[in-house]
Amino acid sequence: MDHKESPIYSLLFGTLRLRAVLGVWILAFSFSVSVHSQDFESKVAPLLVKRCVECHQGKDPSGGLSLVDQEGLWAGGKSGKVINKNDLVKSYLLERIETGEMPPKKQGQSQKLPQKEIELIKEWISQGAPFPKDRTLDYFERTNELRAGRDWWSLQTLSKPKIPKVEKGTQPSHPIDAFIRSKLDKEGYEPAPKADRRTLIRRVYYDLIGLPPSEKEILAFEQNRNPRAWENVIDFLLAKPQYGERWARYWLDLARYADTSGYERDQEKPFAWKYRDWVVRAFNQDMPYERFILEQLAGDEIPNRTQDSVTATGFLRLGTWNDEPNDLRDYQYERLEDLVHTTSTAFIGLTVKCARCHSHKFDAITQEDYYRMGSAFWTGPVSSGGNLGGPTADQLGFKDVLGWTDVRSISTPLHILKDGERHKPLNKVVPASLSSIPTLERKFDPPPKGAKTSQRRLQLAQWISDSKNPLTWRVIVNRVWQHHFGKAIVRTPNNFGFLADPPTHPQLLDWLASEFRNSGGRLKALHKLILTSETWQQSSLHPQAQRIELKDSSNRLWWRAERRRLDAEALRDSLLLSSQELDLKMGGPSFKPTISKEALEGLSRKSSAWNASKPEDQKRRSLYIFLKRGLLPPMLTAFDLSDPTLSCGERDVTTVPTQALALLNNQFVHVRSQSLAQLIEAKKLTPEDQIRSVWSNVLKRQPSQEEIELARNHINVQLKTFSDFQEWKKSESQKPDATVDPKSLTFHFRADRAILNDKKSKRVKSLPDLSGHSHRSHQSIAARQPLLKKDGFGGQATLMFDGKDDFLKIDGQLLDRQECTILTVVNDDQGRGHREILSNWNGKAGNSGTSLFLGLTNESTVRWSDHYSDAGQISNRSQPFILTSVNGGGKAAVYQNSSVLMSGAMLSQRRLDTDWVIGTQGNIDGEYWKGGIAEIRVYNRALTDAERSFVEAELAERYKISLTPLKKQKKLSPETLALASLCHVLMNSNEFIYID
Amino acid sequence: MNKKRSHSAYFPCGQSRREFVWQMGSGFAGLALTDLLTQDNFFNQLAHAETKKETNSSFNPLAPKPPQVKPRAKACIFLMMNGAPSQVDTFDYKPILKKYAGKSLPKDKKYINSGGRRVGYLTPEWRKFKRGGKSGLLVSDYFPHVRQHADKLCVLNSCHTDSHAHGSALVAMNTGKTFIGRPSLGSWAVYGLGNENDSLPGYVVILDKRGGPISGQPNWASGFMPATYSGTLFRPVGDPILDLKGPQHLSRQAQRSQLDLLAQLNQKHLDQRPGAHQLAARIKSYELAYRMQAATPEAVDLSQESEHTLEMYGIGKKPTDEYGRNCLIARRLVERGVRFIQLYSGGGHLEETWDAHAGIESNHGQHAPEVDQPIAALLTDLQQRGMLDDTLIVWGGEFGRMPFSEGKNAPGRNHNPYGFSMWLAGGGVQGGINYGKTDELGFEAVENKIHLHDLHATILHIMGLDHERLTYFHQGRDESLTDVGGRVIKDILA
Repeated sequence: MDHKESPIYSLLFGTLRLRAVLGVWILAFSFSVSVHSQDFESKVAPLLVKRCVECHQGKDPSGGLSLVDQEGLWAGGKSGKVINKNDLVKSYLLERIETGEMPPKKQGQSQKLPQKEIELIKEWISQGAPFPKDRTLDYFERTNELRAGRDWWSLQTLSKPKIPKVEKGTQPSHPIDAFIRSKLDKEGYEPAPKADRRTLIRRVYYDLIGLPPSEKEILAFEQNRNPRAWENVIDFLLAKPQYGERWARYWLDLARYADTSGYERDQEKPFAWKYRDWVVRAFNQDMPYERFILEQLAGDEIPNRTQDSVTATGFLRLGTWNDEPNDLRDYQYERLEDLVHTTSTAFIGLTVKCARCHSHKFDAITQEDYYRMGSAFWTGPVSSGGNLGGPTADQLGFKDVLGWTDVRSISTPLHILKDGERHKPLNKVVPASLSSIPTLERKFDPPPKGAKTSQRRLQLAQWISDSKNPLTWRVIVNRVWQHHFGKAIVRTPNNFGFLADPPTHPQLLDWLASEFRNSGGRLKALHKLILTSETWQQSSLHPQAQRIELKDSSNRLWWRAERRRLDAEALRDSLLLSSQELDLKMGGPSFKPTISKEALEGLSRKSSAWNASKPEDQKRRSLYIFLKRGLLPPMLTAFDLSDPTLSCGERDVTTVPTQALALLNNQFVHVRSQSLAQLIEAKKLTPEDQIRSVWSNVLKRQPSQEEIELARNHINVQLKTFSDFQEWKKSESQKPDATVDPKSLTFHFRADRAILNDKKSKRVKSLPDLSGHSHRSHQSIAARQPLLKKDGFGGQATLMFDGKDDFLKIDGQLLDRQECTILTVVNDDQGRGHREILSNWNGKAGNSGTSLFLGLTNESTVRWSDHYSDAGQISNRSQPFILTSVNGGGKAAVYQNSSVLMSGAMLSQRRLDTDWVIGTQGNIDGEYWKGGIAEIRVYNRALTDAERSFVEAELAERYKISLTPLKKQKKLSPETLALASLCHVLMNSNEFIYID
Repeated sequence: MNKKRSHSAYFPCGQSRREFVWQMGSGFAGLALTDLLTQDNFFNQLAHAETKKETNSSFNPLAPKPPQVKPRAKACIFLMMNGAPSQVDTFDYKPILKKYAGKSLPKDKKYINSGGRRVGYLTPEWRKFKRGGKSGLLVSDYFPHVRQHADKLCVLNSCHTDSHAHGSALVAMNTGKTFIGRPSLGSWAVYGLGNENDSLPGYVVILDKRGGPISGQPNWASGFMPATYSGTLFRPVGDPILDLKGPQHLSRQAQRSQLDLLAQLNQKHLDQRPGAHQLAARIKSYELAYRMQAATPEAVDLSQESEHTLEMYGIGKKPTDEYGRNCLIARRLVERGVRFIQLYSGGGHLEETWDAHAGIESNHGQHAPEVDQPIAALLTDLQQRGMLDDTLIVWGGEFGRMPFSEGKNAPGRNHNPYGFSMWLAGGGVQGGINYGKTDELGFEAVENKIHLHDLHATILHIMGLDHERLTYFHQGRDESLTDVGGRVIKDILA
């Protein structure tokens, strides 16, 4: 079917052009209104359907008046009869229409019918309002200017159109080109010339695997004269595992994939990654599309289900999940909407969710249809308040899988809800397919005896994947086209309804869909089909671009290739590849990239919410990044990563300055450019060859002579700037900052200065304050005095606290300002629960939540006041260690043996005026330290890193603690930095960011 | 509490898209920055809406756009009291609570007991109410400074919302719905009106140092709209936005030489690709980014402010320093053309926010003094500069608190979505009035009830936008902030 010829097409798209013509026609028509009985079908019925039936139909018609059949018309409504038999032109129906009260106002604006329509109704009524006896009007019986009916193009049977014959020139050998050329011919345009081989190979690499070819691969292809060279490249790429990774990402957008649930707790969805890996495998194994559908919707219900097929049902588990909804009974309907919406948009390109409260305003989807589809999910855990909204492992039949299965009895009926409101149930819905495609409409059978599930999802999946379902196959080939061309044939890939963009080439869409369906639904064959067309191989430059753009700026005729920006993932992966750091390890749990502490400020639980993975794990492909709904990685969102709340069929492509800021300044990009610079330097090349190497690695080509000169000049300028900078740095660092100004030390406690209770006992009565500030530590009750162990940590004196009641009081207020550094030398002897080293907590004095303390909880979780109730995990707790906490200079941090455990924003305001204690929480009898404390130092400011390291080194030496060797960041020479600057510029260049 | 989904007067799905696009359309033409920023998908929408009309393929999605209705305010500052302040202790005086103190809430008052906490007894206000200004508006002693501006306040006593849980209620206050994934109020404002400063974001959010709000990012995200319209987190000290500075060795001069080389390479690349708008737009975006690196720190640089001003806002003093700074920055941002600013008071959880379960006095007694003087200073400052008429101030939390305690003699109060108070000031709203009422106990809104959709509709209206016509077409539906609900509270407009 060609839309140019179809009446729907002209209705929709001819309107603008025809408006003037229509006006004249309407005028003429209004004089010739006369309704004959045969006119009911051609004139009155369409009018009633278009204007009245939306409200006046169904079980609960508006005003009690149904206008779908003769009976309803004559019965009238709540206000009585609407047709006055005695005086037809005084009928209430006509009066309401003539006064413009009907149709009712919309958003305050009158919807009064055009005069010619009123005339038509008047004429009809005056003739006795003839309504054929057996005729029942159906709201969706046909498409009109306001909405699509069941005759809408995308709902029509899919058949394979003939390949058009082109009128001019030779007939293209490739079917796709025949479709494209025949339209271009009609408009009098030539397609763009074929792109050069370099452009082609780079484009196809990104298209299929999301990574660029190396310079070597490009050269090899450029020189390859084998006529099968192009096909070989395609086959080579389709066989690479990176193909599945690239195409899985598109599907994950549709499946609203994320690793967490969203909302306050934003819990991790355990094993969501197994679903991600399933999708990658499905693509790599070229799973037939029918199977791909069945497993995701009903992998638990299919015969001979496997752990793999159940993993695929993760598709239904990926939505957001709120563990604290306002009302759990309402919330189950929200979840139903998520499931209906995701399923219907992803697989059949219909916005079924719009029919939740009323029949769809634009498409042939009744309200009942919404609930029919909903019934497939209704027996699942939609009302579950636990298990992150899913089934238990027992119900699912597999452990460690994020899957879906039925958990409710099928006798729990799902009602259609008036206006979508729970407390207004209408009739029970009969589980069935959508009614939109009458030839395919079917009820869902009840499950066979002994079945564990309702098998409704299985039947829904079978209906969707039916070879006769006209939507499914059109929708998927449209998506594949979209990702190869940057735009789709139907430009709204998640919507094939009335508000959709019409297909640019409807026959081509149908041809592709039929071809794909008929050959087993194998995507790899479809890719190859598309990539071998001349249409795909066109250049993005067209000699007549300026002229054609005036007529077709959005390239609906496909007269050239679309230039595309790398998406967020391809960009990040390409950066890593440029510096030869990309780790192609596949699958497994997601990794967490380092996110700057500034970006973490948006989290309500700052310290515990994000623990970045080890640097070496962060070099994997972006597909494997942990997607936390409450904090999507800023680097990815800057480049239009889609919001994972709703199924996304097409990402935005924006060009905003924050992207420039990210590429110019983000640490990630700098580290890449510096790594590459170091790599190149290590090769001991001449300056010119260094430049060549930069070009080769980043842009995969050799620079021109002019470019070499520009680069050389840049390196020289930067070298001077960076050398000057390092000189300055050096002079700065020579300033004595390694020692610590003793004035800022406000408290110093050391076990070897302990004063014993009596000469015999080892119990400690008091200790002086070595800082000279008279903050004496003491305990008068002998039973609560810690014991002195003379050869404690590293042979040094250490106080041993029993974890039951031992503690020390401190005289005076240790701090008079928020900024501070606390260094302690301690060990933990299998302590449990909260336990403190130093604290000024005092519940009676109201200093809860605002006190300052340092201690542990659970096995090895550090607490740095209530502000950071999880300030990282210590290791080897039974061995002596140095625990340091810092607050000030805009940040707070905790270190064990000089290695950082936590770094975040400063503590919120602390109250410092309550009593200070060692080895307990404060004035309650509890939270006692169990283990040794050898030394505590408190400074009234945040020590610099150098100062802190200095003190820690001193303590480490004294107590024979080996400090975690600080990974010394290799200081880069000005030469390296200058070369890195060049790499960095190329990584920002349009040549790098765009695909021609 | 269920919001009506149906409303015979409204046909929510798909009515007004073309009208709106038509309105927007005129704003896109003829702007200096037309080709600076492209937003292709948004453009597709336009092209799609305009059917066959061909349009230039690049424009600035943040360019200023003409309002839909007569605007009363150019900008909005939303003072978000995260955690939910108690209305009967602040702006909703209920003298009868003294009489009923120690009694239970009448049985016929139905509610969901949030978090299943202990249900205690009716408890009168924890600090005295006093009259302020000529209007004699009643404000409690938690806000003595704000009380001095009583004649500017339009106190909305009859607010109610759709959730009793912080996470979803806060998201609702920001996006209209209790579930995440929808554009926030500020996103709608910049989508509808654009931004008047091309070196600063149009929608700025400053969080409390104690932490972000529950549910995080979705509170200021743009949902299904392009990310361009999402809120930008601003840090009040140093570099306000992410990635504003590179490594230390890369001085401005060194970066300039990078940008010069980049421009040369990009230009050669562009020359070989004539007519490539998107490439040209990206080249320009780098220059804009370079300017932003200077403009954004300037916006938060308070050294340009007088001693007197700093003192007025309580900057440099506890406990007002942080919020004072944020309020002053908000004024500077409004001066620079930023459209929508949200300042959080309270961050993280429980007592670090206004979530006064443990005690009204211990909690509000901490948080109110942090914001009282700064907010009063903001009102004074805006008025002195003649900016108050053009700036709408909104104050409030995600819901209110119960008039009863959480147990015998317990000093805190539980969540209350059924009735709570917010206030507006400036932006052409009437001052010195209370609008709407809760019942005599302050439990639920009973008169002139204001659902959060009504509040949103009113805020948009004041900013020059019609909540019914401000729509964004997404997946088959014209989405709007207020969905099928919302009414503009015209009675409060001056």
